[in-house]
Amino acid sequence: MKNRASSHLIALVLIFGFQIAGYYAVYQAALLRGYEPTVVGAVRDLALFAVLFGVVVWLSRNMKFQGNWVLFTTAVLLFSIGSLVQYRLYSDPEYNSRNKAEARAEKTEILRRRYVNQFYGPDKKKLMGMPDNPEAAQLQVSEAVARRSNITAGSALVSYNTWIPIIAFLALGVAFRLCNSDNFLNWVQRHSFIIVLITLVPLFAAVATSSAGKALGNMTPWEPSKIPFLLGFAGILTAYYRDLAKTYWGMPRAQAIVPLFVMALIPFFPFFVLQDFGQLLVFSGAYATLYLVAVRRWPQLLLFVGSMVLVIGVLVVGSLPPDTQAKVPLLPTLSKPVQAVLPARIKQRFHLWLDGFNPPSPDVAWWKKDYQDALQREPRMKELAEQSPGMQKTVNVDVWFDRIAFQPAQATFGIASGGWTGRGLGLGFAEVIPVADSDYIYAAVGEEMGLVGGAIIMLALIVFVSAGVRTAIDARDMFTKLCAAGLTAFIGFQALVNIGGITRALPMTGITLPFVSHGGFSLITSFAMLGMLLAFSHRNARDLRPAKSPRPNTRPRAGAPDPLIPEAVE
Amino acid sequence: MFLLQAIPEKQPALLSLIYMAGLALMILWLAVGLLRAMRRRRYSVGGVTPADLPAEVRERLGTTSTNRGLYALRWFFVLLALSVFGFHVYWARYAEEKNERFQELSYKDLRNRRLSESTLRGWILDRTGKLESALALYRVGDGGRIRREYPLDREMAQLLGTERGDAGLERALFGIQSGAVPEALDVALNKDVKQPANLDVQLTIHGELQKAVVEQLKDRAGAAVVINPQTGEVLAMYSNPSYSIGEVQDESTWIRFDTDKRNAPLVNRALRSYYIPGSTFKTVTMIAQFLHGTHNEKYLCSGNGYYAQPGAKSILDDGGAAEVHGVIGVDKAYEVSCNQYFAQAAVKLGPDKMKQAAALIGIGAYEDPVDATRGRRQTEIWNVSTPAIARALAPSEATIVTKVGMRPYDLAIEGFGQGYAGQMTPFQMALSAAAIANLEGKLMKPKIEMNVAPQPFHQVVTPDKAAQMRRIMGLVNDPKAGGTGRGVFMALSNSGLVTGGKTGTAQKDVPEYDKNGEPRTVKKYERDRKGNVIREYQQIVISEEKRIDSWFLCIAPLEYPQVAMAVIIEGGGYGSKAAAPVAAALVAKARELGLLGQAAQPGAQQPGAQPAPPKPGARQPRRSPTPAPVANGRVAQRR
Repeated sequence: MKNRASSHLIALVLIFGFQIAGYYAVYQAALLRGYEPTVVGAVRDLALFAVLFGVVVWLSRNMKFQGNWVLFTTAVLLFSIGSLVQYRLYSDPEYNSRNKAEARAEKTEILRRRYVNQFYGPDKKKLMGMPDNPEAAQLQVSEAVARRSNITAGSALVSYNTWIPIIAFLALGVAFRLCNSDNFLNWVQRHSFIIVLITLVPLFAAVATSSAGKALGNMTPWEPSKIPFLLGFAGILTAYYRDLAKTYWGMPRAQAIVPLFVMALIPFFPFFVLQDFGQLLVFSGAYATLYLVAVRRWPQLLLFVGSMVLVIGVLVVGSLPPDTQAKVPLLPTLSKPVQAVLPARIKQRFHLWLDGFNPPSPDVAWWKKDYQDALQREPRMKELAEQSPGMQKTVNVDVWFDRIAFQPAQATFGIASGGWTGRGLGLGFAEVIPVADSDYIYAAVGEEMGLVGGAIIMLALIVFVSAGVRTAIDARDMFTKLCAAGLTAFIGFQALVNIGGITRALPMTGITLPFVSHGGFSLITSFAMLGMLLAFSHRNARDLRPAKSPRPNTRPRAGAPDPLIPEAVE
Repeated sequence: MFLLQAIPEKQPALLSLIYMAGLALMILWLAVGLLRAMRRRRYSVGGVTPADLPAEVRERLGTTSTNRGLYALRWFFVLLALSVFGFHVYWARYAEEKNERFQELSYKDLRNRRLSESTLRGWILDRTGKLESALALYRVGDGGRIRREYPLDREMAQLLGTERGDAGLERALFGIQSGAVPEALDVALNKDVKQPANLDVQLTIHGELQKAVVEQLKDRAGAAVVINPQTGEVLAMYSNPSYSIGEVQDESTWIRFDTDKRNAPLVNRALRSYYIPGSTFKTVTMIAQFLHGTHNEKYLCSGNGYYAQPGAKSILDDGGAAEVHGVIGVDKAYEVSCNQYFAQAAVKLGPDKMKQAAALIGIGAYEDPVDATRGRRQTEIWNVSTPAIARALAPSEATIVTKVGMRPYDLAIEGFGQGYAGQMTPFQMALSAAAIANLEGKLMKPKIEMNVAPQPFHQVVTPDKAAQMRRIMGLVNDPKAGGTGRGVFMALSNSGLVTGGKTGTAQKDVPEYDKNGEPRTVKKYERDRKGNVIREYQQIVISEEKRIDSWFLCIAPLEYPQVAMAVIIEGGGYGSKAAAPVAAALVAKARELGLLGQAAQPGAQQPGAQPAPPKPGARQPRRSPTPAPVANGRVAQRR
């Protein structure tokens, strides 16, 4: 594919066409499954493509975009898979309903009545107590199918689901415009430390108002703060990377490493308080990547990798189940202090990851509360649990799979039932997985589109990261290079941490799949990051061919003093 | 709007395949474009290096240390992404086969329940085939919802089974095998999509007879199996205590029942409980005698008892030294239930011949007593249309121990149903009776579906010998002879129905139970010579009071038997006291229902004047009078 706006516009049109097929598949499948999905929602989702076409036209016409279109098209592809899967889930009355059992019963009832009307003779219907008048039967079928979701055009216009993607596309445009200007980038680089500090102020406000890692209902308004943090770190690293590269006994000097260290640690505090360990993980990954890219010194690399392995090792050792620990000599003694320090949530996540199919003993501190709570609610279960140890074990397994392990277990079963090509859009049972629209969207993809769907997402991510890395490689100055690398690494690692959590390759963290997941601030942030990457890519291309078309607002010609620090050539 | 096609899911499945293929093409297109662009300008350094420098110099200038780090980052990411995807491949392709814990937990998968809920199962009809007497049907219940109902709930619970625990007939007949739900590709390609069969199924069970069994076993632990010996049709099978299918929808109730080992309502005793057969096992020994032609032997039954080997305990009859039968043949021995005779008969036959006879009627003969107690599920005995049904109804294999060179004493007590013969199921004993009751001397494989053609398990003896054995069984209930079932069957005999039978009584050690029905255990210590504790273990406390189980085998009518049954009442005392009256009542009920044929109707015939019995081989399963249910393309043909 040529890197031209027109070819990528065609690609976008093709994606749009396939998207229509996908929505129609969901609609058909939904009718078979006993509910009628909202048409307004589908039209709304498809209409968002008009905005995307508008973005393409704006980029190519108004902005004279010369950068890498692959970044944009790949992101749109991921976004369209996400919106289709979300549409399928939201249409299902069972998924959204407060009373899931009731919604499910209604669905099955419709299917059953339809079956009875079609295949049962009059004598059977009479025994069942159903009317055998064919017109009445017809009426019942149509009544049943008419149970559609109550989204009207009016409510669609004011719904979050309409405006958040539009805001995200706007954010893309704004980010592109800003990062396209040298003045802005210079300003950011010069004031990176202050920017980071200022970001902390609203963030702490968010922390103060949040509960259980969520604020403003079910939102994570601190998501956009990832961008200033990354910019800040890239700025500091750009200022110090030469000093950091001068090592003594394999180590850089303290005066160079301390500001960097401080900068790197800043985001950790709010995210630790928010218990958003997924973000922490991704931040550490992105920062380590940036550092290693900027300062390539073997001893430091070894130190980094070594300390990473150590931290992971300590975490794993600390959260292994007690009976496994007892098998290895010295391990219980080693893990005791770690266990004392680790937050309950991390222990729980590690248990789910390493031994998720087996519940912990009901005496384990972090599980005890949930377990007791479940027994409180069902006095009969409590009675049973008290009868004998064997019974308690059974009850424990049941409570475990009804509570903490419910979501990951259902996701795993879903992925397993997907096989190669999945059950087909709308034909699986992805609605049984809680929050399958955001954190667990990969499980829904795995169930309904199977390994092929998973491979499409993986390949899209690889293409996106390659294009992002290309942008970083082509960047002419260290700051944009590191920014591009940091943003790419962040999006890539975030996706892997999410997917890894679902496929049990990593512990599950409450982090979204960029572009694919439903999510207010996270979607906006992802598209803003995309806008920045596009801007960096555009700058590279513009600098490659400076003579072709002189534009206003471009950086000075060669020979004039360069405000940015030139690329390091060692 | 809703058109039912051959496979209605085909259209959305096809569309989603198109969607996936389209997106896959798009992303491949993008990837290829990116790869080509990468090849074109591997080391682009753009404006930094003057364009007039030689290519290698430009290249070297481009490969800065930072950029090398970035290349590494790209490959590192690809590696990570592929390994994460590897986990997806594992769960999607291998976990179902390889991961044991995952298989065990599949019952926690909500999808299975969704699937079975959304399709209506077929109705289960009893042998009359009338919709009104369906055993499982759908009704519009409270709140206007369609729901499965079981008119004979407790009566059929153990046969039909529930959604929990081992599958019963409900799940075996209509269950969705795992993996039956197809992938989108299979649907789109019209591959043989295995959908659950949801046609009606007619069972051989007679609802009214089943009700009569329940009535008879009321308040007593026990079981009864009624089989048509000519076709193998199971007419009734029940085990008391039973449970209600609706009741165990509640998980905690199910758990409570599952732990209750004393009443064991979830266990179908007819199929899965081992009992000591007592004298009823003499039937098996008799079959072995007739099979090997030693049935004309006469043995002495004296007050001193029979010594099977030097130094062994002498074998006496229940009456002890006072019960003396003298030198008797097999007919007299069976009639009066003589232990000494059958002990000697078994020793005379030897282990090998006993083993041959056992194998012919479905009893497993093992050399090692440990193997004999394994309780293998005997699926091969059933005559069924799908293996799932055989698995759902598989009896625990009844076993004896036969080993060349085994102690004659062991063989002797085995001959009259003690010792190693103590692993019999009521189902197996009913089959043993059925082997004799079959007019051709064949054991028919038991079957539970009406529409399955009868199939023999083995030719056991010649028709002539079978007739002789029936005559001997008749002596037990003959009002003119001195048999143990005479009194109980007097009324039936007087009304013109000649029957045959065999009583049995067995003492069994049973554990003591606590209030939840769990066996009481004590802690035991294994010590070495010095008295140090080596091992600590739990031992089940055996109650001091032995349970006396009451057995009765019955065939009726004697000349051309239409039912063969086994009844056991736990703790019922002598066979003639508890089990025989139950059998007599069931025979009477079967006659009332017309299951014994026209000839056996009261007053219709005088004994000895029956018409020639219908040819058993030509007997066809009765057709259902109801019209066959509508078949459609998505339903596998069962009927």
